Amino acid sequence: MKKIMILLFVSLFTFSANSNAKSITLGWAAWDPANALQELTKEFTAETGIDVNFEFVPWPNFADRMLNELNNKGKTFDLLIGDSQWIGAGAVYGHYVKLNDFFDKEGISMNDFSPATVYAYSTWPKGSENYYALPAMGDALAWAYRKDWFDRPELNSEFKKKHGYDLGVPANWNQLHDMCSFFQGREIDGQKRYGAAINTERGSEGITMGVTAAMYAWGMEYENPNKPYDMEGFFNSPQAVEAVEFYRKLYEDCAPPGHSDAYMVANLDAYKSGQVAFQMNWYAFWPGVSKEDSDGRVSGFFANPKQNVAAATLGGQGISVVKYSDKQDLALEYIKWFARPDVQQKWWDLGGYSCHNDVLNSPSFPTSTVYAQGFLDSMGIVKDFWQEPTFVELMLPMQEAIHDYVVNGKGTAKGALDKIIEEWVEVFEADGKL
Amino acid sequence: MSVKKKFKGLSDKAVAWLFIGPSVFLLLAINIYPLIYAIRMSFTNFYANKIGREPQFVGLKNYIKVLNKEAIWEKMQVTANFMFWTLLLQAVIGLGLALLLNRKFKGNELLTTLIVLPMMLSPAVVGVFWTYLYNPQVGLFNYVVNFFHDFGSFDMIGSSVLAPWSIVIVDTWMWTPFTMLICLAGLRSVPNYLYEAAEVDRASKWQQFIYITLPSVLPFLLLALLFRGIENFKMFDMVVELTSGGPGSATELASINLKREAFEKWKTGYSSAFAVILFVTIFGFGNVYVKVMNKIKER
Repeated sequence: MKKIMILLFVSLFTFSANSNAKSITLGWAAWDPANALQELTKEFTAETGIDVNFEFVPWPNFADRMLNELNNKGKTFDLLIGDSQWIGAGAVYGHYVKLNDFFDKEGISMNDFSPATVYAYSTWPKGSENYYALPAMGDALAWAYRKDWFDRPELNSEFKKKHGYDLGVPANWNQLHDMCSFFQGREIDGQKRYGAAINTERGSEGITMGVTAAMYAWGMEYENPNKPYDMEGFFNSPQAVEAVEFYRKLYEDCAPPGHSDAYMVANLDAYKSGQVAFQMNWYAFWPGVSKEDSDGRVSGFFANPKQNVAAATLGGQGISVVKYSDKQDLALEYIKWFARPDVQQKWWDLGGYSCHNDVLNSPSFPTSTVYAQGFLDSMGIVKDFWQEPTFVELMLPMQEAIHDYVVNGKGTAKGALDKIIEEWVEVFEADGKL
Repeated sequence: MSVKKKFKGLSDKAVAWLFIGPSVFLLLAINIYPLIYAIRMSFTNFYANKIGREPQFVGLKNYIKVLNKEAIWEKMQVTANFMFWTLLLQAVIGLGLALLLNRKFKGNELLTTLIVLPMMLSPAVVGVFWTYLYNPQVGLFNYVVNFFHDFGSFDMIGSSVLAPWSIVIVDTWMWTPFTMLICLAGLRSVPNYLYEAAEVDRASKWQQFIYITLPSVLPFLLLALLFRGIENFKMFDMVVELTSGGPGSATELASINLKREAFEKWKTGYSSAFAVILFVTIFGFGNVYVKVMNKIKER
């Protein structure tokens, strides 16, 4: 009986000690950078005594889970690393805490961060000086390729004979197609290989992120720069139509069989298993790919190729304090710590993509990894999908119409883009923007 | 006796209410109230994610919009096709398997257990693992099909022609055992003396099937199809995991579209109207079906 009493007392003491400990919860997507952040955060806990609990949600459910939480004014998260497109909803619907006063008080300057990332991850309205997030994870859509196959003299000479130039980093999308189709169905080391693992996912945002990589490179604009929300002739311009047609051609000629609903992990798997010569993916995955190729002989990386203009699809996220949190002071403490240049340097060293100028402008940065220069190049040319509060409503019709055209082969590219504009007009009208 | 003592002073009616009260309360709270709320919302322009914006009454606008939207009719057509083929296949194969398992042979119990296994799995899990079975490069399904006839490489999920069949096949694989079990129960309830009398009258096996087996088992089969019809009308998880409604919208069933409108686009008013239309449709069909079923039973 005495033993039981002691055990009960110890348990109660432990429980009360734990419940008194300061802790916050951070929500993000479940992927490699999240593990790096978890590692980095151990230093924050050691310095401040604040425990950080992590909730990482798999990408396919990430937006659903987090946006439902915000819409329900949930208190699960104190900090949220939310997608760039959420910033409009976060600001307009009051989900995120406005950080201007906090930044002023703590001497955190947005001038210390890459302008493209501040614009994309922190501001609403776009380009204003209203900050709702600290740039946390810079990212853009890029490409990895099988350098070891490219370096084979017999393959290169065969390719050169056919196309008149060497296998290498493609200068534009036409060259990308040449190279991808060259590998399509080719037998290398006794195995059948394919051209490229590209984004074709239907459910969330995959195919939109993929096709816009082409559309931006062709010079597509979402709207008339002089007349907001006027999309006719811009989003469905002849260049945009050509880009969508090209993306379908790339899918038909170069994707491996069965690659009809693929995004990040499927592209990564196709590449890692040696099925494809190229993969389209986010920079966030390159540390993992690079880690398995320590001497750098297997994989090469490059920024999204240009066509008419140099452009890349923006990824990445900012870190925000959730308005409904009861621990906003502790969450702000974390942001203050995370904004420090020395922490940002460690963040990059661990595999996260810092947006801090001290890290990016360091002379050693471009050569610090094989993909660092590409990352720098990309962050200078990024473009994002709509960041409106209604971005989900805008994303869904695009997913459906583009998938219908590219994967399903239904209708025309112009018809798909016209249909998307029709739906977007309806969304903007309901939102009072038109 | 002890129950009587415990409830001493309460009338029989009060005791009855005490027992059914919690169920009635839950029914009202979980089913009836949301239904009435959804009907109310369907006449407004409410967006659940637009905090602070008061819903405004828009009359029948949402209903007109739903009924005039071409895309909605496409989804309804996809749903109707899915229901028709799954119910037909499950009825035919389910009845066939039930007839087979109604015979006495060695290993009957083991075979029944094996056949029933698929319906014990989670639909989401089934959706995920069939994506692997359908993989054109390594999938078992493609291998088996090509083993019998070489069709070359084909993509069940990525082709707009094959994708609707891909979900029909998986649903049939998963739920035929359910139809089979209900039919088996029906077959085992047929008294043996009917067959003995038929034998005496020199009825052939086919005549026995048409005049004894089928009429006896038909009410059971219709009941199984009613359950499957209702379930398939609201089919969601398996199809989302398998095709996400794609390619394009080739397998986007009405329920998937409803979820996207309600909980991704947050068009609460519009999607409530859509939900009410779906409810009335299934309720109407269900009622007609039950009446037909009762008539068949009475015969």
